[in-house]
Amino acid sequence: MTVFAVTLGALGVLVALFWLLFGSPATETPAPLDARDTEEFLPVNCRYFPQIRQMLETEDHQFMRRRVPRHIEVEWRRERRGILGQYLSGLGQDFGRLERLARLIARLSPEIRRAQEWEWMWLGIRFRLLYRIVELKIALGSSSADDIARLTDPIAGLAAELESRMSLIAECAPSHLHADFGG
Amino acid sequence: MVQCTLVRMGLSLFQSMQWAIGSLLEAAILVLALRNGALRRLPFFTAYLGLLVASEIARWLVFQYVGINSRFSFDAYWTTQALLVLSRAVVVYEVCRALLSPYAGIWKLCRPLLITSGLVLAGSAVATARRRVHPISATTLMAERGLEFAVVSVLIFGLIFCRYYGVRIDRYLAWIALGLGFYSAIQVANNTFLGTWLTHAHFTIWEALRNASFNVATIFWVVALWKPLPAMKPAPVLLARGEYDRLAPQMTLRLRELNTRLLEMWK
Repeated sequence: MTVFAVTLGALGVLVALFWLLFGSPATETPAPLDARDTEEFLPVNCRYFPQIRQMLETEDHQFMRRRVPRHIEVEWRRERRGILGQYLSGLGQDFGRLERLARLIARLSPEIRRAQEWEWMWLGIRFRLLYRIVELKIALGSSSADDIARLTDPIAGLAAELESRMSLIAECAPSHLHADFGG
Repeated sequence: MVQCTLVRMGLSLFQSMQWAIGSLLEAAILVLALRNGALRRLPFFTAYLGLLVASEIARWLVFQYVGINSRFSFDAYWTTQALLVLSRAVVVYEVCRALLSPYAGIWKLCRPLLITSGLVLAGSAVATARRRVHPISATTLMAERGLEFAVVSVLIFGLIFCRYYGVRIDRYLAWIALGLGFYSAIQVANNTFLGTWLTHAHFTIWEALRNASFNVATIFWVVALWKPLPAMKPAPVLLARGEYDRLAPQMTLRLRELNTRLLEMWK
């Protein structure tokens, strides 16, 4: 049993090593940074929330239940869940962008705080766990547009603040901003 | 004459061939390293390659004059082996430093963690080996397994930091790190097998696996050092000192808020 576990462990270590060393999304791109690159780091999906909310609220839930046949209502719910799911996925991407920016700032800072870094790491882990749970909730049809709104506001607020800072960071390390956060 | 020498040393023709090929590879890689400027960039790695060649010569001399089955040969082999494992640990630290030290903040965060984890793992390996009541060969194997485990753990720990912060890994460093990690991971498994089934038949397999895995690691290093090492990149321009302190609280606040919202949606 021990031998089997150790063999599996060694194989796991080798796979992990290979992935950590060669599976990196980082590819050197010597071209200078331009406006499109800085935009890659800023949250974008949360900006479209008003349109999404409008679209989701135009159809009244009660109205659908009373006036349309059952199979159409089921289809409507399915599509609505699909839209919410896609939007949640976009918010996850926004979170990822913010997180990558936080790491970039840490990487380019001469002094960083350990407690701060651990907190960011913990927030990232927790967000991903919660994200999966909410995704499941949407799939089961028990989440509303208001829920997504609560998720969106903080990212949108931060986006505006960061936009003003990006030019400063870009000036400091253009080539670093470019390459290392491909995924 | 060669056969006579081999008989006196206690080595079979196959073992001798394997040893000769391994030694030649080690010598070739040392030459490559010196020719391609590794001494300047990775002095500990180059010194380790030199130590490898020196230890092969020392072992060959001991085995030839005393015989492979003597107690002196056993001690000589494991002493040089301990030196090589410790050198590999230093090389792993050097690789992590080469990757992370250009980023002052991350390196200050990472370095104490790497050193502490390495010392704790190595200390626990030695302590576990000392407590064992098995024959000296089993104790030595377990100590070596623990040290190899410490080496590969520290390497993976450092690489996780690189991955997390998006630090780019140069191709030659990646191959060197792969060689170090590959050999250590195989030895951890290999020594566990032999520790479990300590028989002569298994010893032959253990020895063959050990030599083969080391030869594979040296091939990785040949790939790393085949071409001259790339020119040193200029150090990255860092942000002003106060910028992190200004940005961090805002980002933390938003990320925390986002998590809270997500938590509310879940409830």
